Amino acid sequence: MGMASVNTASEGMQLCIFDLRRGQQEGQELDKILFFFPADLPFATQLSVIGLSEGLITFTRIFSPDAACEVIEAERHSHVFFEAESDIWMVMVVEKSKESKAACQVDALRKVLKEVHSLFVLFHGTMRSMLEKETSGGLIRSHLYPFITDYLSDFLIGKKLQLPSFHDCLMERGTVQMLTVGREAAIEVQSLVKVLECSAGTTSCYSLVLFQDLLVSTTLSPDDTISLFTYAVLRWFRGNDGFLASDIWGADNGSQTSVTPIVYLQLTEERMYLCAYQYKSLTIILLVPVSSILNGEQGLSLVKQQVLENVCVLSVPASLKMLRVEEKLSKGWGGENAYHVSGYRYLLVDDERVSRASPPAKVMTLAKDSLLAMSKLREEVNLEKKAKCSSSEVNCDKELEICVRAKNGAWVIARTSRGKELYMVLEKASETLLYASDAVEKFSNRYCSGVFSLD
Amino acid sequence: MKERNTTSTLKRILVNCSSQAKEYGGCVAKKVPEVERDMCLKEFLALKNCMQNVCLTSVFCYIKNFSMSANASSSQLTVGLSGSGGLSHAYVQYPPLKCNLPGSRGLYYDDANKLLLSPTSDQVFSWKTVPFSPHVAATADYINEGPVLSIRYSLDAKSIAVHRSNQEIQFFQRETRETFTHMCKSESESILGFFWTDCPVCDLVVVKTSGLDLLTVSFTSKSVNLVETKKLSVNWYVYTHGSRLVLLASGMQCKTLTGFQLSSVGIVRLPRFEMVMAKSDANSKPVLAAEDVFIITVYGRIYCLQIDRVAMQLHSYRFYRDAVVQQGSLPMFSSKISVSVVDNVLLVHQVDARVSILYDIFEDSRAPISAPLPLLLRGLPQSHTGRPVNVGESLDRNSSNHELMFYGDDWTFLVPDLICDVASKSVWKIHLDLEVISSSSSEVPSNLEFLQRRKLEASKTKQLCLAITRAFILERRPVTMVAKAIDVLVSSYSHSVKTCSNLKETKVDEASASVGTNASNSSRSAKDESRVGVGDKSFNLSASDSDDQSREIDSRDLQKSGKENLLGAESSRGEVQSSSLHTQQLGLGNNQLNANNSERQDSQLTSPAISPDEMYSCVFVPVGEEIVGDPSYLVAIIVEFLRSTNSEKIKVRPNIYVFTIQLLVRYERFAELSLLIINKVLEPSKEVAMQLLESGHQNPQMRKLALDMLRQLSLHHDYVTLLVQDGCYLEALRYARKHKVTSVRPSLFLEAALASKDSQHLAAVLRFFSDFIAGFRNTPEYQDYFRILNEMNTGLAV
Repeated sequence: MGMASVNTASEGMQLCIFDLRRGQQEGQELDKILFFFPADLPFATQLSVIGLSEGLITFTRIFSPDAACEVIEAERHSHVFFEAESDIWMVMVVEKSKESKAACQVDALRKVLKEVHSLFVLFHGTMRSMLEKETSGGLIRSHLYPFITDYLSDFLIGKKLQLPSFHDCLMERGTVQMLTVGREAAIEVQSLVKVLECSAGTTSCYSLVLFQDLLVSTTLSPDDTISLFTYAVLRWFRGNDGFLASDIWGADNGSQTSVTPIVYLQLTEERMYLCAYQYKSLTIILLVPVSSILNGEQGLSLVKQQVLENVCVLSVPASLKMLRVEEKLSKGWGGENAYHVSGYRYLLVDDERVSRASPPAKVMTLAKDSLLAMSKLREEVNLEKKAKCSSSEVNCDKELEICVRAKNGAWVIARTSRGKELYMVLEKASETLLYASDAVEKFSNRYCSGVFSLD
Repeated sequence: MKERNTTSTLKRILVNCSSQAKEYGGCVAKKVPEVERDMCLKEFLALKNCMQNVCLTSVFCYIKNFSMSANASSSQLTVGLSGSGGLSHAYVQYPPLKCNLPGSRGLYYDDANKLLLSPTSDQVFSWKTVPFSPHVAATADYINEGPVLSIRYSLDAKSIAVHRSNQEIQFFQRETRETFTHMCKSESESILGFFWTDCPVCDLVVVKTSGLDLLTVSFTSKSVNLVETKKLSVNWYVYTHGSRLVLLASGMQCKTLTGFQLSSVGIVRLPRFEMVMAKSDANSKPVLAAEDVFIITVYGRIYCLQIDRVAMQLHSYRFYRDAVVQQGSLPMFSSKISVSVVDNVLLVHQVDARVSILYDIFEDSRAPISAPLPLLLRGLPQSHTGRPVNVGESLDRNSSNHELMFYGDDWTFLVPDLICDVASKSVWKIHLDLEVISSSSSEVPSNLEFLQRRKLEASKTKQLCLAITRAFILERRPVTMVAKAIDVLVSSYSHSVKTCSNLKETKVDEASASVGTNASNSSRSAKDESRVGVGDKSFNLSASDSDDQSREIDSRDLQKSGKENLLGAESSRGEVQSSSLHTQQLGLGNNQLNANNSERQDSQLTSPAISPDEMYSCVFVPVGEEIVGDPSYLVAIIVEFLRSTNSEKIKVRPNIYVFTIQLLVRYERFAELSLLIINKVLEPSKEVAMQLLESGHQNPQMRKLALDMLRQLSLHHDYVTLLVQDGCYLEALRYARKHKVTSVRPSLFLEAALASKDSQHLAAVLRFFSDFIAGFRNTPEYQDYFRILNEMNTGLAV
């Protein structure tokens, strides 16, 4: 996975996880540290980072016991805080980019922390429960190190860690992207999902269906959906029984590919076998409760067999369903640029769970000034949102409309309405605000069923 | 309770006779396709015996249970028997229609008018058999003294023709009693028979040894006019009015047949064809007799069944406009065979074996739809036995009596569904017991298909289908299997909706047709043209026969005019009458008045098709009440139902969507629910939105979906009201202005603004309404809030 190179090459970033309940005695401070990146940093340096963070947390808690500090902006560094579980903190220290003095997207970075945590929890359960299981902390450390370094390797471009920056201002980490389907296709998908869930034999199965990298159907809770979706989009490879397998995260040390991953559901903390099957562009993920299967891997292979027979094997009439669904979705699928709207570069977020954006390749065409302006605007909106939420608890999602003219003359626009957010960059809009506002209106009516239309 | 008893009886049969059934089945399987005479007879008789025994004992059990649970009065026992107590796929209902008259000179059946005729020395008595009622009074008409070979009323029922001798047919006008005689011209030919026709060119067809004479009959000139002659040497003929088809046999073996169809659209001559006759040895040449050939009409198609005594097979042929195609053969277990058609089900009576075998030849399947069982007698009152002491004993006596009588030599099977017992001069109508037939089938989808094709007793069949579907779901059968069953029901409904308009047309046209036949002959042609394609029972199928359209041979015989066949309409009308008759019988036999009413209401039904609404109220809702725990199975079934209706393009009412939402909400499956809403699997409607709103208490996401739905449906008033409720009164105002919503009371907005304790907002809202609604400034409301606003402002100032 090339992690050695990450360790040495990234002085720009530090990431640590520590438990405030541990190491409270003098001389036992090291016990707090559950994870530190880069790992080869001297303990003294590690402890000083953690010491500073802890100090700040303790201090800010005096004023805001429920939500302690979120970020510290120093001259050359940003410290991003995330309380993953109670008293377990994740802190990311990022060097500020020299070329553009603009603050990097703190919110995006916090979402990175959130994501890595939710993925860890998905496969290993909560850190707290693992610490309770094995109080020395050796177990959790041995799990966290390979897990997070592997996760970080995804950000590795050449030898440099490329963390979310203003370039990524038109995407939203921690949301799912959905495929838009017509009613008929949707019914076919549902029919397939139901047959699938029922064919596994137990009633409490869950499923997730993806087409390409887009979500088609889920019966999981929103949080679990996001975690699994994130994982599914990140990586699979095909196992020898036709089901997909994953090499690292699912299994314990020295794993074999045939071991079926077990995941934890967030709400119920139920343990589920994760079986994924792929037919062309269609991926089906089925979660089967571990408790419902008697003799482990052996019993599971029986269930898999059953599912294969019912849904996936093409010689069985019922399994034509999968074929038919794949065909139908392929027919309706507009390709990679399906959701591109010419003239617009946009990001649409619904309830912080579902997002849709201009394809990355199209966003790349934007000028740096536009992106920087949008990055700044997003930060403003996030602050505004937080301010509103804390002031009145009932109505967090009020309406908001901001139009900014960037240095290069582009219009950078944000609108929120009842939990939905729309961000947009219009580089080719003419001089007037009216024109820009008109373009948003058109977009809203056409693609958002008028949610953002004001009057 | 009834149903359960029936099922358990059937199970008992299957359990008790399994070894016999296996032996018989195994034996047949070994010999197919070479089917021989008395093939597996031993095994068959063993099975039959076993079945009959189990039947009888189960009937005893049933009656005993019944009399123990309810007060054992004789009338209730009768009900028990006439219900589903006796177990058979087909039965006749006591009492029969008695045609016993002093001086009767035989019994004749006029199948065109559905009349039973019994001539005495100078009169002819007639009984209507449609609707079939044992209490129908005979009508008498005067005819002259003389021999009677056959007798038929004209189609307008104004005149009577009597076949007197080989040379002579005599006509009587009923009203005027005028009469004249038609004689054969030549001595060398003789009249074999005759029938009335609704063919446009003639009224009467006389079949002679030399061919057909097509005649018009005129009482004004007291003569018949020869319109056309079809020259042909004829040994014997068969004709049914239902098919309008006459088959003429010629040749040494009488196996060369020529057919003519004389229907309201004209005359069609069929290609001559040869019947298949096996030879026992090289020299013997068996001769085909008229009794060996049956014309039957099933699903509007015309078939001919022919007995091959040497091969012990019943060959079937199907008639097309320009071809006759052999369809395969049914086995014979008896040298005497007769057939009936009840509700498009073919009954082959193996008279010597005293059983009847049922076939549904809709899809050219020659597999019987149930085991060979004897016809049963139902509804025999106990007083007839004279000894109501021991239930078991008396029943025993009865059944043995009737078994002696059943399938006796005196039985004549009349087309399509009557049995005439010549000895006792009584006529029985054959009924199917669909409950028994369907409970013997384990394949639910195909069983439902079979039931959906039944048109008689549509409401009963529909209830049966609903019960079967409910049970199927409650047994938690695999979703794919239930989906198949649902597909059957939905496509049947879709089919019935599509043909519904046609049916109405048919009925209207029929009315005009009857006017036409009442008019004089000269004016009939024009009128008859108006019913072209209605009364036509030509060789083509009804257009609705979609399966067959794909088959090459049928594409040829689809007549443009003959799209609709009369049969559907006829039988549906018959159904209405017969079922109301059925209720009358019930009413006479006992005091089930309530049952009477409901059945009469439903008797208008012409098809057992189940609408989405009925699926909702009679399947999903009751199943939802019974299913405990996780609803995902039921939701899966509903999704399958929606898939099915969507593919058939049938609209579904919102109630089923609302029901689905309730199911999912009850188990907090919000992720699934919002997906179903977003993808419009549950189509948007006000009802759906309101249900979502209700669930909004548990999950705010649902409220959002509901609001989005209201906005998309342009239900402005509700949307604005809800926005105000959510405290978004400014947004609501903007929306109200844009969509000109004036129906929401200003006070709602003002109250919301006041509640937010923001004097600027309150001022803005007040100002808005002053501008938006003319004369708002003069309302007390305005003044109230204006005062409040002032107080707020002064309060601030202080």
